[in-house]
Amino acid sequence: MNILMLGWEFPPFFAGGAGMVCKELTRALNDLGVNVTFVMPKGPKDVYQRVNEQTPDSFEIRIADSHRKTTFVPIQSLLGAYDSQQKYSERYDEVEGADNAEDTLYGGNLEEEMYRFANVVTSMFHDEDFDVIHAHDWVTHPAAKQLKEVTGKPLITHVHITEHDKSGGLGVDPFIESIEKEGVDASDRVITVSHRLKERLIESYDQPANKIDVVHNAPLPMDKGEGAKTFFHDLDQKIVLFAGRVTLQKGPEFFVDAAAEALQHDESLLFVVAGDGDMLGDVMEKAAEHGISKHFLFTGFYTREEANALFSMADVFVMPSVSEPFGIVPYEAQTMGTPTIVSKQSGISEVLNHTFLVDFWDTRRMAEYMLSLAHYETMNDVMATNGQQEVEERTWHGPADECKTIYEELKSQW
Amino acid sequence: MVSVCLYFHVHQPHRLRNYHVLDIGEDNDYFDTEENKRILQRVTEKCYLPMNNLLLDLIENHPDRFNVSFSISGTAIEQMEAHAPKALQSFQDLAATGNVEFVNETYHHSLAYLNSKDEFDKQVQKHREALNEYFNYEPTTFRNTELIFNNELAEYVENKGYTALLGEGADHLLGWRDPNHIYSTPITDDIDIFLRNYELSDDIAFRFSNESWEHHPLGADTFAEWIDAINGAGEIVNLFMDYETFGEHQWASTGIFDFFEAMVNDVLDNRDNDFLTIEQASDRYPQRGEVDAHHYTSWADARRDLGAWQGNELQRQAHDELYKLEEFVKESDDNDLIEAWRRLTTSDHVYYMYTDGRSDGDVHDHFSPYDSPYKSYMFYMNALNDVARRLGTTSQQRPLSETPSTLLNDIPEEEERMHS
Repeated sequence: MNILMLGWEFPPFFAGGAGMVCKELTRALNDLGVNVTFVMPKGPKDVYQRVNEQTPDSFEIRIADSHRKTTFVPIQSLLGAYDSQQKYSERYDEVEGADNAEDTLYGGNLEEEMYRFANVVTSMFHDEDFDVIHAHDWVTHPAAKQLKEVTGKPLITHVHITEHDKSGGLGVDPFIESIEKEGVDASDRVITVSHRLKERLIESYDQPANKIDVVHNAPLPMDKGEGAKTFFHDLDQKIVLFAGRVTLQKGPEFFVDAAAEALQHDESLLFVVAGDGDMLGDVMEKAAEHGISKHFLFTGFYTREEANALFSMADVFVMPSVSEPFGIVPYEAQTMGTPTIVSKQSGISEVLNHTFLVDFWDTRRMAEYMLSLAHYETMNDVMATNGQQEVEERTWHGPADECKTIYEELKSQW
Repeated sequence: MVSVCLYFHVHQPHRLRNYHVLDIGEDNDYFDTEENKRILQRVTEKCYLPMNNLLLDLIENHPDRFNVSFSISGTAIEQMEAHAPKALQSFQDLAATGNVEFVNETYHHSLAYLNSKDEFDKQVQKHREALNEYFNYEPTTFRNTELIFNNELAEYVENKGYTALLGEGADHLLGWRDPNHIYSTPITDDIDIFLRNYELSDDIAFRFSNESWEHHPLGADTFAEWIDAINGAGEIVNLFMDYETFGEHQWASTGIFDFFEAMVNDVLDNRDNDFLTIEQASDRYPQRGEVDAHHYTSWADARRDLGAWQGNELQRQAHDELYKLEEFVKESDDNDLIEAWRRLTTSDHVYYMYTDGRSDGDVHDHFSPYDSPYKSYMFYMNALNDVARRLGTTSQQRPLSETPSTLLNDIPEEEERMHS
């Protein structure tokens, strides 16, 4: 089985969440005997600060382990992860401004560049030997669609998030929306990372339910390490943790409202908001309005290592997201042995058993679960142990196996 | 000759409502009366009334050869009286035939034997009085909650005057022997131990509608043949099951009622066979062997031990805390409080706290009113905290402790409590 996979990030080129997912998925697919050719846009070195030193320059490389069956193909392009029309323009100007020798290579705007990328991909791969095209999210959709049209090979679109989820329903970019719609329309099968996201595609993109398979993400590997267990180590208070981007989508203000309710019952609780984001000021203000600022700590941006320390120190982790196509952070908290309270409006809520599920707006229930986990220590211990175990039992073998089944179904029908 | 001993268990707990942290001190009604009523009325329509009518017909057709035994928990009786009087009347009609035995148990379907003999005795006595009052019945057979027993329990109830005790025909008790005889224990004198034939019982209770089972669909004649086949090798066939098997666990559409009626008639077609109550079988047949129940056995889950109720730390801790409050509750002389505490002794509450995700967990989920074992623990502990608050000796208006008894003043010395 040979898969041509199109994505827009892959470690070490850009180690965001989706890139990590692509890496784990392709590795697990390799273990199942599936060969993957992974194609992604890669800009000139200096465009991305986060590009690793080891970034290979060659157009085609083999991933280090020789037994791995992934061929990795970066294609020169200014398309970026988590892109938008504005971000593209800024990047284009930056490259132009740097008087890059290759500046004429790129499309003048996001749309042009996507189609230029599609043409390059099609010319490189139209007579390659593969069975199925598997494309992740919208940046690569035009390329995937064109390649399907030229080769007649079946196409799977793997949706991690849609424009509707990112915008919270406000200010949907009609251009991106149309790219997403055309991408899934052109697909023979669609994979979503949650039932929640599947419903979204049915409603917003008018997709038939029987075309969509849900393949839940597994946890990403974590270096549990020792962590920097230096913050508040003498503290005798129970810690309730929020960790993530402090933005509307993540629901930090509901965390503050729940804290205010919980504090009415127990004034000894300490609430930690870890992370940065455009709502950080609002959240601080809200805590002040409730008169509970002294029960709050704000850490700002945190590193991976600090995250581990935070998770292992916290007594309760809360993810009050307003809308989360998947939302992988509770896996990390549970891996570190911290019981979780998770928004029902998240994809991960579909797979966790040893957690408390709560509607993001139901701050009274959220407060109750915080209090119970802080006071009922036996329950906290049992939930921590079972929660850790359930995360350990989920590996990428499961999602890879589900993808492989879909590949085989498509291949046999072709 | 083979005598079939049908024993049906009828029970309805007072399920807890979602009793929240912030309800402590605000509201001391812990139980979901509306939901309990709704479930009872559903089971009444789907199971109690149609199955009782079927049994009445069978008794009428075979007055000398068809008898059955029941245990009906006190919490079921009182809820029927309040919310389903037709069901209670129907059981009373069965009692009036004289072909029905009522088995004694703890009124509140509790695990009190494990924690407090004093409470156990009180609940057994209360149930005995209820059988007298509602069914005009004087029981001689005993069953402990969930058929939990060991040698000492057999001795304990023998000393109370019971002549028969029900248990599970667990493999580790019987070894190569079958459950189709009456047994004794090493430390009892005369009490007859009746062990459930789990193969044949579960063919009806669990496998009847399972389409992947090799004997599906199970014919009444086939089952009657299996019973006939015991002739010569055994004397009794102990078919013990939840009464809700009929119409609730196995829906009427599976054909369970027709199966049951035809099966009884087919078994009785052999003139050597009959259906006896436990008490009648105890009178007719001798003990044929001894089982040595060192450890507790039960009729639940694959392991047949106490794991379903005391298997995890949540269950053990919640149960321990309940009984640590016992003495304080009883000394309060507050009858509402005592009754609320007793309702919390019902074993179903800890059963809902089972956390194992294996196949047995599915069974637990099926019977649990909550979507999470953690919630059932939380609501239960919140209720215990409120009980502690009502005892009026805690300094906290809204306690929230996993050891609410430690919040109470004047905690007696450990020794004193042990002797009480």
